[in-house]
Amino acid sequence: MRKLCVVLEDREVQDNPYKPEMWRIVRRYPLTNDVNFFQARSVDVDQALRMNYLPGQFVMASVLGEGEAPFSISSTPSRPGLLEFCIQRVGTLTETLFSLKENQTVGLRGPYGNGFPIDKMEGKDILIVAGGLGAAPLRSLLLYVLDNRDRFGDIAYLHGARTPGEMLFREEFLQLKERDDLNCLLTVDKDDTGQWPERVGMVTDLFKELGGIDAKNTYAAVCGPPVMYKFVMQRLVKLDIPKHQILMTLERRMKCGVGKCGHCAIEYLYTCIDGPVFTYWDVLHMKELIGKGVSSDVIA
Amino acid sequence: MILKMKKEDLSAFLETVKEWGELWGPTRKGERVAFERVEALSQMDLKAARTIIPPKKLLYPPRFTMFDFDDEGYVERTGDVPNRILFGIHPCDIHGIQIMDTMFLEEYKDPYYAERREKTLLLGHSCIPDEKCMCFATDTEFIAEGFDLFFTDLKMFYLVWVGSSRGHDLVRMKPELFSRDIGKDDILNYTEYRKWKTSQFSANADFTGMPDIFELGYDSSILDELAEKCLSCGQCTMVCPTCNCFNVVDEVELGSVEGTRDRFWDSCMFREYSLVAGGHNFRDKRVDRLKLWYTHKLQAYIGEFGEPACVGCGRCVATCPVDINVVTVANALREQEVGK
Amino acid sequence: MSSPKIGVYGFTGCAGDQLMILNCENQLVDLFGATEIRSFSMAKSDNHEGELDVAFVEGSISTEEQLEHLKDIRKRAKMLIAIGTCACWGGPQAMKLEEGGFEKRYKGVYGNAKITVSKAFEAQPVDAFVRVELKIPGCPIDKSEFLGAVSKLVAKRHPYLYRFPVCAECKWKENPCILWEGKFCAGPLTKAGCGAVCPSHNMPCVGCWGPTDDLNVGAEYNLLKEKGYGPDEIVQKMKKFGGAGVAKLVKEIKPTAKEKEANK
Repeated sequence: MRKLCVVLEDREVQDNPYKPEMWRIVRRYPLTNDVNFFQARSVDVDQALRMNYLPGQFVMASVLGEGEAPFSISSTPSRPGLLEFCIQRVGTLTETLFSLKENQTVGLRGPYGNGFPIDKMEGKDILIVAGGLGAAPLRSLLLYVLDNRDRFGDIAYLHGARTPGEMLFREEFLQLKERDDLNCLLTVDKDDTGQWPERVGMVTDLFKELGGIDAKNTYAAVCGPPVMYKFVMQRLVKLDIPKHQILMTLERRMKCGVGKCGHCAIEYLYTCIDGPVFTYWDVLHMKELIGKGVSSDVIA
Repeated sequence: MILKMKKEDLSAFLETVKEWGELWGPTRKGERVAFERVEALSQMDLKAARTIIPPKKLLYPPRFTMFDFDDEGYVERTGDVPNRILFGIHPCDIHGIQIMDTMFLEEYKDPYYAERREKTLLLGHSCIPDEKCMCFATDTEFIAEGFDLFFTDLKMFYLVWVGSSRGHDLVRMKPELFSRDIGKDDILNYTEYRKWKTSQFSANADFTGMPDIFELGYDSSILDELAEKCLSCGQCTMVCPTCNCFNVVDEVELGSVEGTRDRFWDSCMFREYSLVAGGHNFRDKRVDRLKLWYTHKLQAYIGEFGEPACVGCGRCVATCPVDINVVTVANALREQEVGK
Repeated sequence: MSSPKIGVYGFTGCAGDQLMILNCENQLVDLFGATEIRSFSMAKSDNHEGELDVAFVEGSISTEEQLEHLKDIRKRAKMLIAIGTCACWGGPQAMKLEEGGFEKRYKGVYGNAKITVSKAFEAQPVDAFVRVELKIPGCPIDKSEFLGAVSKLVAKRHPYLYRFPVCAECKWKENPCILWEGKFCAGPLTKAGCGAVCPSHNMPCVGCWGPTDDLNVGAEYNLLKEKGYGPDEIVQKMKKFGGAGVAKLVKEIKPTAKEKEANK
């Protein structure tokens, strides 16, 4: 049996792992054309404070009568009480979710998945690479490392979006550029506003601005569209970051979140309990993914 | 603990244990053999090699309600499961239930499965292998644990293995039917029985080295050829004792905010299985779906637990209309040739 | 919850789906209570043709007049749902789709008789002409599948219909596989939703729910040929209810490796 490089956290066992608890939407506003920011607080206040999670974990969210789907958490456990999500309107569940108003309730259960291996990442340099909606789980990690700034080495945040209007948390990230303890590099493929103050180009173009990195002492976390993975992985491997220190999060269909329904299986791994954060080394063993976002030429 | 029982006493024994719960056993109607609720031993067919659907249907029904909901939230629906005594279950199926137990009872215990499992007593019975049985290749032709009672038919007698304290409680309901008087002849009879059973298999099944053969043959065109024949009907997954995949949907009452959250058997052979919102499908191609199923049964599970997730029951062999099953797939991969 | 304005319309078909709605007995009062039925000629005479939240359309479209009416309904309806296999796929009257020769067949039936109704054309499913938000197939539709979908719509939720083949439901009922026994069964090509009613009575599936969205027509064809059925019979039976869902696929059936070998 191959061992995962990621350490699984102890999970709290509930009586019925499928039972959603009710959470109230306290804030909701658009981040981009089709992505909304949701902030939720548990109807049961104690529950809100008990909710503990790791960056990179996800919850199963239910809309009464519509169904349930996984969503990664965008907030950080270092700021407890509220859960935040950025959700793209892509299907029937999210369409109904977008019809809900503030003060209405949704069902939530979790957190699920392994999350980022924070224990191992402490003391190391952190390189975060986000593309498009990939910023959703990576914002959690970024805020977490910034809130615990003295426990990490150098931190770089690279974020690419198609246009300025499509960059999630644009204003928040632009403000982060002012911090001198973070190297925040933002880029868009195309500036259709003429007022974009930052880089124009691919996210991989940002690598040349990184300067020298202490590769063996670096953890990289990547999330983005499949096409981005291919090129970003090539760069990271070229930089000599060990493959077991390159972390990526995968998305799959899920009906349970707790390793029962089978949908998220990739060979012997369940994305919901063994992931969604996998090391690049893990992913290289997933034959099913070769040629589908994972390039086999990196193996050679 | 192994006891002895006269064959003609079985009927009386089952009559007695019915006090504990519903009696279920394999029944036959034409070609259809199925576990059904029965009133007496006489309604059962203990010679049938296999039922169409494994006993998982009692522990995990094809479709059931998990929650009732209204605008206040979700209320779990459990507690409506009767006590059942499942008689006549074969070693392969008991092995199958053990695999299901690992899946559902260990991490994040599934309360629906747990309740049914708790309320179902498993009374195993020895079997007569047919040409589709391949439990010899999965090392599941005998069973040492996982049942409450197990009856081995030695023509004149039953040897009865007591596998749990609850099984023992059943024995204690009618102790006069059982004897501890086991002699040399019984041991010889049992040894003969094992030899006889082992000699009965004729399926051309061999799963040795499958994890590596799968790794080597993962991209071979053999699997594409099989996928071309696959109807994606999902029957293989429905009849498999170790297939546990499910889908979940919400249903609402007409004109109301109340409804139910229902769960039903799903299949990785269906296109919808790996479809995510937005329309991306991780396994749009049939061959990728076949690869998932067969790597799960014959490769991934071995890597994880040291044994295949196939218990050799032969149901996929007896069901797939186009002859895609663990035997044909394993042999095709091994020989790099699709058989007739 | 405001009740949605609903219209129910019928075109070329047997009106069995509308009848099935009226046959909802216990739930019929709920249905009329939860919705505002603006137009339903089969059920009432006081009909108002205006804006609709949901239009249910039964039957295939086979004349110019029907087409105009359909376009009018589409214009007035926020959502259009095809009900029954004729509306969804064309039904038996569309079994010759993709084969051509409509004029000849028409002449064969009507000769030189003077036709006073609107000009007819090859029957086609509703979505051949207008956008359709949802298909609820069946011959006729299944009460619980229909009411389940309507309940979701009234609650402003998305209906969920099984997308997999009827074989799944057939196995849930623990029936032996009819195809395995060598008999003609259209199960693998047919959407679930009926509860596998025919195979549960030891009758093969004829495909009346119409096709799933994942057909391996070639595999079914080759299998049935192996079982001794003639190519014409197989294709005809596949097209009986499959209509627009299988017409093109049937044309693309490729010979098996074995046949290719034999032809060499």
